[in-house]
Amino acid sequence: MLDEALRLEDIHLSYKDLAGTMFSRPRALDFFSKDDDDPQNELVSGANLIVKKGETLCIGGGSGQGKSTLLRIMAGLVRPSKGSIYYFGEYIPPERLTALEVAKRQVGLVFQNGALISNMRVRDNIALPLRYHKMGSPAEIEEKINMAMDLMRVRDEAGLFPHQLSAGMQKRVAIARSWAMDPKLLLMDEPTAGLDNYNRRNLLPLIDNMRMLFKTTIIIVTHDLMMAKELNCNLCFLHHKTLTEPRSFNYWLNSDTEISRDLFRDLRSQKNNM
Amino acid sequence: MPTNKQVKGQNLSLPGKLFHSLGLAILKRPMGQLLALFFRAIASLFSKNRSFKTDSKNIIMQTFFTGVEIFPVLFVVATLFGTVAIIEVVTMMGKMGFGNNIGDLIVIVIIRELGPILTAFLIAGRSGSSLTTYIGTMVINSEVDALATMGVDPIRFLVMPGLIGGCIAMFFMNIIFSTCAIVFGFLVTKGAIFVTGNMLNIQLTWDFLATEIIGAITLTDFIFIIIKPIVFGMIITTNACYQALNIQKDVRQVPKATSRSVIKSFLYVVIADVILSIFYFVDYMNSINSLI
Repeated sequence: MLDEALRLEDIHLSYKDLAGTMFSRPRALDFFSKDDDDPQNELVSGANLIVKKGETLCIGGGSGQGKSTLLRIMAGLVRPSKGSIYYFGEYIPPERLTALEVAKRQVGLVFQNGALISNMRVRDNIALPLRYHKMGSPAEIEEKINMAMDLMRVRDEAGLFPHQLSAGMQKRVAIARSWAMDPKLLLMDEPTAGLDNYNRRNLLPLIDNMRMLFKTTIIIVTHDLMMAKELNCNLCFLHHKTLTEPRSFNYWLNSDTEISRDLFRDLRSQKNNM
Repeated sequence: MPTNKQVKGQNLSLPGKLFHSLGLAILKRPMGQLLALFFRAIASLFSKNRSFKTDSKNIIMQTFFTGVEIFPVLFVVATLFGTVAIIEVVTMMGKMGFGNNIGDLIVIVIIRELGPILTAFLIAGRSGSSLTTYIGTMVINSEVDALATMGVDPIRFLVMPGLIGGCIAMFFMNIIFSTCAIVFGFLVTKGAIFVTGNMLNIQLTWDFLATEIIGAITLTDFIFIIIKPIVFGMIITTNACYQALNIQKDVRQVPKATSRSVIKSFLYVVIADVILSIFYFVDYMNSINSLI
């Protein structure tokens, strides 16, 4: 239990729990308790997952299966209807399960659209959490921002506003912002979607570096199944509202399950052609 | 490891259960959530992430935004409203033979009641609605979510500066409104008298008006000049932020939330004004006793 980064036990989520942010609403015991347990209305029913420290895991699955929602559950933005979540072996009861509480445990999330603060320049966007949490002196923070910008190649755009950047650049800034926080568990929502091939190829070594040097646990939600192969990590799928066992890329490529037939057909035919 | 039963709070004692259900009954209502948001915003002033430099900068920005930029409109409204009030009071009271009650009426109409209320309406219509749109758009673009996942408390980062800045701006704007209404209202009245050749037959000097008003102001008025705008400012900004943070993920909800924010601010401000006026009535009854 000590070497776990994240553990999900029997997570259920119904559709009506999805909507809205709840920051203005205080959460109390039993506040959102529901009486109906109709599996028809559930988006995720009974997901179990254990991620070890330093492990990298890709979560795949068809569009609309609830992959991003599962990531939002992990980040504490959506509270599951049922089930328990453990961060680094520590149980957080549902009435305290908010994004702020999760973020205290150094969990970072990269949004699909970047979600940069639109009235701040790129540099201030990256500096915002560092300055808020007073992580070091101004000189140290400045150095850290520059390093993050160099890593993601957004140094030239430091003085621009997010609406002046393209979608791919916004995503790179968002990754830099998460990286600068030194997260122990990093959740990434479609990191390669919207990036060109050049930047995608640059992103993968960065993720590789993060897990090698900083021992960051990384969970990636992606359509890009080749990424799992290039990162040499396990792959699990959200299928029929539950999570499958994490297996290697080659297992899924060669197995004869429904998922493999659906999602790996193109990759298989490519392989056969080669 | 806690079991599910302990987590769900089933094994509370009887007083605990009563307290729990009372809390739930309060928090399930919008008014309870509004109060909770207000107290959380106040409590976030003392969180360990406080930094005087950034906070004061944010608060000054908000005060500037809420207060200073509304000044031209507020000045015009106050001057015209003061002119109308002074002319009507002076002519009507003079006709009815209550010439020595002019100061009382002007204090009641401008300083006590309509000054704070009109300032509150102007600030709710302009700054409250723009605060709702600003935070609401951030909610839609999941920027608020991003703030929370970075560990930046949205209540501290967004709501608190608005709340404090709104109260400060409301306080100063109320004083400016009353002053403008009386001083510039008097000047415009004089101008009107000059232009129309004193058609209405008004005999008005600054000495007379100032002595009357100063004689009519009581200590209660001074206390309420401070309390009323601060209470109104709290209501407007908390309500604006509450409506914005409760937007579901739908762009069409932003205009709805904005109109809700303005209308409910009006409603709550008037209700609060009535509740605060009870103190005036108590004061008035006491003075009647002493008169008799």
